[in-house]
Amino acid sequence: MNTIAPSKNSPMIALTGVHKSYGNYEVLKGIDAEVARGEVVVICGPSGSGKSTLIRTVNRLEEIGSGSISCDGNNIHQPMPAKELNRLRSRIGFVFQSFNLFPHLSAIDNIAMSPMRVKGLQRDVAYAKATKLLERVGLADKANAFPAQLSGGQQQRVAIARALAMEPPVMLFDEPTSALDPEMVGEVLSVMKGLAADGMTMMCVTHEMGFARDVADRVWFIDQGQIVESARPEDFFSRPQTQRAQRFLSELRH
Amino acid sequence: MSNFDLSEILGNPEYVAMLLLGIKMTFVVAIGSWTLAMTLALLLLGLRYAPGPVGNAFVTAYVSYHRNVPTLVQLLLWYFGIFTLMPDPVTFWLNDHNAEAIFAVIGLGLCQAAYFSEDLRSGMRAVSPGQMEAARALGHSYVSAMRFVMVPQGSRNALPALINHSVSLFKNSSLAVAIGVAELTYAVKEIENLSFRTFESYLLVTVLYLVFSLMIMALGAYVARRADPVRSGRA
Repeated sequence: MNTIAPSKNSPMIALTGVHKSYGNYEVLKGIDAEVARGEVVVICGPSGSGKSTLIRTVNRLEEIGSGSISCDGNNIHQPMPAKELNRLRSRIGFVFQSFNLFPHLSAIDNIAMSPMRVKGLQRDVAYAKATKLLERVGLADKANAFPAQLSGGQQQRVAIARALAMEPPVMLFDEPTSALDPEMVGEVLSVMKGLAADGMTMMCVTHEMGFARDVADRVWFIDQGQIVESARPEDFFSRPQTQRAQRFLSELRH
Repeated sequence: MSNFDLSEILGNPEYVAMLLLGIKMTFVVAIGSWTLAMTLALLLLGLRYAPGPVGNAFVTAYVSYHRNVPTLVQLLLWYFGIFTLMPDPVTFWLNDHNAEAIFAVIGLGLCQAAYFSEDLRSGMRAVSPGQMEAARALGHSYVSAMRFVMVPQGSRNALPALINHSVSLFKNSSLAVAIGVAELTYAVKEIENLSFRTFESYLLVTVLYLVFSLMIMALGAYVARRADPVRSGRA
């Protein structure tokens, strides 16, 4: 097997020479980076820079051209049976910009379904856990509501609970607040802050620079398929090293 | 006997018995061909999603033939064409078992399967691709994602079209009169011949088809309401 016994010091996520192209267009031009255990990394950059593509390669929603990605000691992009990939994916939480809740299931069914169907959890155990997760995201009273009956912020919080239900050691967020009305951004970010405080390893593509400043351990600034800067948020925001990052930050302030 | 008088038909026990037998045969043909059509439609849909180009090409050809040749012509081809090419023992057996009705079920069922399978396919296509991604990201296999996420939504999307085509199928059962199936339309033609009450006969059969079609639509609306988690009151 490819599994290297993950030690406390090994990174949770390691990207090595990751390249990806769509036809002739190179989206990722050699990404080398690591996310330590318990670390919160915020990925930012102009649109089209490859940040969404990058985060989607980590659980192999996108294939890569060359390079390698390991997550929790597992080589994600090596050839493997479909079953093994499913197992690895179940250990990586993913939150989408568009929530992607299952509209035919109630909030609690959304959360409890995959632990039962993928991990084989007993029904009562899965629902007890789902109830706890709904409390954790502040939606205990919405257990039986359907996605269409929830606001965007509530849907995204259910989606976070759904991902957490698989008990992944790492959570990936792909612009989790970009589809939300401004007044709902805060409730989602505060759930994410809580997760970070609990020591969850997180990789988060976001334009919420306040969140990056307060919660991130590290900011990766991506432009044209490359990590141009990787810095602590206080350094990144006060002393961006490259012109591209300076321009990006000044445009955000407008 | 020139004045409008429905009791000339409905007051005659012999005619009423013929009507009831016709109604029964209409439902036998409609339910039989509906069941065949839905079964085939699911198989066709499976072929559509099977890997490789062969299954898809076969279904495309199947759908193309059954949707672009008049249903009546398809029935005639089955009964007057294919039936006569069958080996004698098969022909004898079929003739002993109401061959007309059997070919009506086969012809209508095969034809309607094309429509049903397209209804189901468009229902599946209407499910957002993000749903499959979300399921896969949670660790579901392709089959598990189809079973628990895609098919429940796709079939619900397909319901209105399936209900419409079920009503069409019910009405198309009257085409079976052309191959001599003693269903409702056939019975009414017989009654008209015997009673010379032409207008009354066709008014009666019009009302009967209308009532039955509306009943099927009401049943469909009930099923659709039950299938909608929010409106069914389970929320």
